[in-house]
Amino acid sequence: MVKESFTGIEKETLIEIRKLTRIYIMGEVRVPALNNVTFDIKRGEFAAIMGKSGSGKSTLLHQLGLLDVPTSGEIIIDGKNLLNLSESQKAKFRLERFGYVFQEYALLPELTALENVYLPAMALGRRKEEYVKNGTKVLEQVGLGKRLHHRPREMSGGEQQRVAIARALINKPDILFADEPTANLDSASSKQILELFQQLNRDIGLTILMVTHESEDRTYVGRMIWLKDGELAEQGT
Amino acid sequence: MLSNLNLSLFLAYKSITKGNKGTLVLTIFIMSLIFVNLVFTASIFLGLGNTVNNQVINTLYGNVALEPKTDEKYISDVYSLKQKINSVPGITGISAQYVTGAAFSYKDKSGAWAIRSINPDDEITVTTIHNFMIDGEYLSKLDSDEIILGKEIPGGYGGDLEHLSLGGVKVGDSINVLFNNGVSRSFRVKGVFDANFQQSNNIAYISQKEMESVLGLEDKASLILIKTRDLGNEDSYIKQFLELGIKEEIKPWTVYAAMVKNITASFDMIALLIAVIGLFVASVTIFIIIYVNTISKRRQIGILRAIGIEGSVIMHSYILQAMFYAISGTIIGLFIMFFILKPWFIIHPLKFPVGFVSLLIVPEKVMVNTISLIAAALAAGLIPSWMAVRETILEAIWGD
Ligand SMILES: Nc1ncnc2c1ncn2[C@@H]1O[C@H](COP(=O)(O)OP(=O)(O)OP(=O)(O)O)[C@@H](O)[C@H]1O
Ligand SMILES: [Mg+2]
Repeated sequence: MVKESFTGIEKETLIEIRKLTRIYIMGEVRVPALNNVTFDIKRGEFAAIMGKSGSGKSTLLHQLGLLDVPTSGEIIIDGKNLLNLSESQKAKFRLERFGYVFQEYALLPELTALENVYLPAMALGRRKEEYVKNGTKVLEQVGLGKRLHHRPREMSGGEQQRVAIARALINKPDILFADEPTANLDSASSKQILELFQQLNRDIGLTILMVTHESEDRTYVGRMIWLKDGELAEQGT
Repeated sequence: MLSNLNLSLFLAYKSITKGNKGTLVLTIFIMSLIFVNLVFTASIFLGLGNTVNNQVINTLYGNVALEPKTDEKYISDVYSLKQKINSVPGITGISAQYVTGAAFSYKDKSGAWAIRSINPDDEITVTTIHNFMIDGEYLSKLDSDEIILGKEIPGGYGGDLEHLSLGGVKVGDSINVLFNNGVSRSFRVKGVFDANFQQSNNIAYISQKEMESVLGLEDKASLILIKTRDLGNEDSYIKQFLELGIKEEIKPWTVYAAMVKNITASFDMIALLIAVIGLFVASVTIFIIIYVNTISKRRQIGILRAIGIEGSVIMHSYILQAMFYAISGTIIGLFIMFFILKPWFIIHPLKFPVGFVSLLIVPEKVMVNTISLIAAALAAGLIPSWMAVRETILEAIWGD
């Protein structure tokens, strides 16, 4: 149930992050990578997590994306604390409701673009006609309608990253997590990816949380979340 | 879950068909070699056992043999006994023999061998010695002072125990035989045979009449060899003999074969050893293939798990690949066994001291080998794929 937001004020809260802390224990040393972070992510937001190297951006994204277990704190969606889920419940949650784009595209080299994309839909037990149709559609959406049957090695880095984005979109996630998705790309390809994110955010209302340390990326996003030494610093738009 | 299995199958299928072709071919080739090695070793040893069995039946004891009752030295009333036996349907030959030990001497050489007496017309219905004459001729019914020798006895015929032989007796020469009861006779060597079986080649044959005159007996026997139409139904024949009231000791060929089994007993051990080594090599091969695969795909596996695909799905896809290698290897191995090696060995049997040996492929053994190979592949695929999904997702994606 999405509240209309034509006034630009009221947006539904998608994720509540409460006092999130992640401390890495390395022998005797405790590295507090994330310290008491509290904020909300609203549905339809395109937010960038920014900060210096080592400020805890990836760590934050991993906690939110249920890829790691925080030391303490809560991540609440639909009133439920996700950190209470079992491993396999988390996997199911990630499959159904989250999309991920990583710095490395990590496509399966034996699969074509289309097959890579529909893998998560197969895992959900969708019928073949359905996932082929949807896979084709999302690939068209990311501008790769003509690359359906190309294998990863037959595509450029930018194209591969867009396949990874299409893979993240196939199950119609609530939120897309992206950790420096353009770090391995040249500036033209980077621009394409960021514009694609912007377009997805605008056209289908996709919520996107993106880690970046390129400050020029700020022009694409609607919100910035600054981290400094694992703590929330200023926020802005 | 079915969708999970579907996905595992899909991933395995793509990995096999779109992965490195050279690795695939090589892996399946190795699997098929290992399978052939397993089945071949078992089959050659089974073939060897089979040859020994046939030799026991065809050159020593027939399918079933009668021996004297426990406290008697000879079987009596042989003539009527033979008639009784003949009344059983399926009996194709009967030969009554006297068997005794004797000291043979020729010039300054001597030695002890077994000597059997036969009625040649009867004997050829049971044994095949007459087909194996390598010099001179087989006995005929009218011969009295003539003897035929297994090739170990005369010397100079390439026996395995040449140093124990008479040192060069030729057909036509006379040898002296001192029987166990003290009677001594001179025999002209009529022929030499080579049954390709040492036990048989250590025996000499003389005619029944001659032996009866030596022993002073009539209508008796030490051993009655019975040949049946079919192999493997000895128990049913024995049952019928018992029903006829035959009181002599009745022994199937298997009893005698067990006595020469020391030849084949150690083969089972060797076959087992080779099988274990083969399965170990198969396991290691599959382990390495899957391990290298999972290591090189570590990051991709991490990403798949990150986007919500269960570790078990990925694990199963690797196990399915391992099974595919093993099953393909088995199929190709079966093909090689049945369409190349088996026909080849039928045309070119191996010559062993027990006779000519070709492969005896027993379906149950093949089944056992197939199952062992697949089980080994399963275990070998399980470990690396389990290792691949055991680490945390973040380690898999970013670890070193
Ligand atoms: N697995 C780990 N074990 C121990 N310390 C870690 C681990 N991962 C991250 N850290 C530490 O936690 C802190 C935050 O790391 P993180 O990767 O979140 O930074 P980041 O903001 O993403 O940096 P970058 O911009 O370089 O990617 C750093 O000090 C880092 O050394
Ligand atoms: Mg980072």
